[in-house]
Amino acid sequence: MTGTLIRVHDLVKRYKRGNQAVEVLRHLDLEIAQGEFVALMGPSGSGKTTLLNLIGGLDRPTAGEIEIGGERIDELSGGQLAKWRARHVGFVFQFYNLMPTLSAERNVELPLLLTNLSGAQRKKSVEVALELVGLSDRKRHKPNELSGGQQQRVAIARALVTDPTLLVCDEPTGDLDRETAEEILGLLQLLNREQGKTIVMVTHDPKAAEFASRTVQMDKGVLIPAMEAAA
Amino acid sequence: MKYLHLVWAGLWRKPGRTVLTLLSVINAFALYAVLSGFLSMMDGAIEETRADVLIVQSRVSQIEPLPISQLQQIRGVAGVTAVTPMIIFHGTFRTQQQRVQAFGVDPDGFVAANPGAKIPPELIAALKRTRNGVLMPRNMAAAYGLKVGDTLPLRSMFWANRADGTQTWPLKVVGVYDPEGADPIFSTASVVNFSYVDEGRTRQNNTTSIYLLRIAEPDQAAMVGQAIDRLFANSPHETKTLSERQLAQDSMKQIGDLGFVVRGVVGAMFFALLFSVGSVMMQSMRERTPELAVLKTLGFTDTGVLALIMAEALTLCLVGAAAGLGLATLALPLAKSVLPIHIPVAALMLAGAGMAMGLALISGLPPALRAMRLQVVDALAGR
Repeated sequence: MTGTLIRVHDLVKRYKRGNQAVEVLRHLDLEIAQGEFVALMGPSGSGKTTLLNLIGGLDRPTAGEIEIGGERIDELSGGQLAKWRARHVGFVFQFYNLMPTLSAERNVELPLLLTNLSGAQRKKSVEVALELVGLSDRKRHKPNELSGGQQQRVAIARALVTDPTLLVCDEPTGDLDRETAEEILGLLQLLNREQGKTIVMVTHDPKAAEFASRTVQMDKGVLIPAMEAAA
Repeated sequence: MKYLHLVWAGLWRKPGRTVLTLLSVINAFALYAVLSGFLSMMDGAIEETRADVLIVQSRVSQIEPLPISQLQQIRGVAGVTAVTPMIIFHGTFRTQQQRVQAFGVDPDGFVAANPGAKIPPELIAALKRTRNGVLMPRNMAAAYGLKVGDTLPLRSMFWANRADGTQTWPLKVVGVYDPEGADPIFSTASVVNFSYVDEGRTRQNNTTSIYLLRIAEPDQAAMVGQAIDRLFANSPHETKTLSERQLAQDSMKQIGDLGFVVRGVVGAMFFALLFSVGSVMMQSMRERTPELAVLKTLGFTDTGVLALIMAEALTLCLVGAAAGLGLATLALPLAKSVLPIHIPVAALMLAGAGMAMGLALISGLPPALRAMRLQVVDALAGR
């Protein structure tokens, strides 16, 4: 592992629900090193998905700083943030979120449409990504023709195809059986160890967290120190 | 171009719904093309009439005959270069539905007074040689299966034939002419000898339905017309003189402002289409909210997503418009057999493309704006 990739400082996120402001993240500080595989755990409503969304540049903080790869993403405009996501982050969701009308290869190609790559270059990158997740032979299949595990592999290929620095995964195995879940987690671990991808994964499952190099516990919008969490 | 498959996939997410919407767009544009062709045909018919040909008819009614004695007086009016009487003979052929309109003319005077008929001189000569002869436009002869030498037993709707007291007038086809480029009225009417009809009928002899006359200067049409009408003012047979073009315009106005009606129908149709395409686009966008959120997650900008939805609306409307206008153009030969309809293809394609883009813009913009404003986190969470 090298230096710090993600630095979150004094992060606050409040939502308005009706007339009430709900503080989901409370002055949170977190650092994640380049090449780390971090599992974010905690009970429902603890703020882990909110933190993941903020780190992934999908949402904006109410206050505080988020620095990723030396860039303050909390200061970027909406358009700049979209471009930043396209360049630096790969997303994996619990329910795969593939386009149902597109084939596996077309789904994987989606992030590449935002680059200046030619059709041939895009095709090559898609093939490499699908090869990496072991789905080269299913590239023409549509999502409804694939199993849950295969769909999640396509989603991982889509997250990887632009070679991002950071992978953010929101309950990536939440919709899979144990065996398939372990395959997917093994794949993520492989990507972390062999390709040096920094991974931040939200999970409820302690077994899933075991695949990570570090587990961060959260509750009520704050991080729980490791010793308290262990207790 | 690299986004085309994405646009296409979005459109075909629900194939049944897309096909139905496409069909309604195709139907609207096909109807628009046909109605435009109809309007264009009417405008064309008026345009093709001559401004230097005047028609003198009874002031009382178009079917009230005028005495033939007026011929000499009209001929003497300054500016008149030629004049001919013309009997309008309404008849039927084999059945009551096979209507035939024939003009009873003096062959010599007719050619001089109405160059718009464009009937070849040899056919006029044949008509002169055969007292009961008839010249027919080619489309009418083909429709009734008649050729030169055949007899057309025309059953008059008004006059009995002095020869045998019946309503039947045995006309002999002496020529078939090509009506292309001729004055529109001669593309649907036959020509017979004035003397044969006038002398053969049992009543209204020595009268004419109208006088057809030609003037030297088209811009003097109003002045010459007023001079003729003044000549017969306060007589038992007062006249009303109009140019052929004015008469055509007046006839159209008697039916009503067809242009307004047709444009109104087309307008109402597109207004309805706007709502139907708009609601389909909105529904499609709502169903795809999580997918659009994923696109934004992957880095598609707000304006990128807006452009994507607008491109879908544009594709749907342009494909529908092209198919509708294309179908109407392909069906043109069929339509021409019923009506001398003319579809101005180039102008129609341009107007159609403009309308399709307008339709796409108005119906696609509300869902596209909604997609643009979509908050990724809320949409992913299903809020």
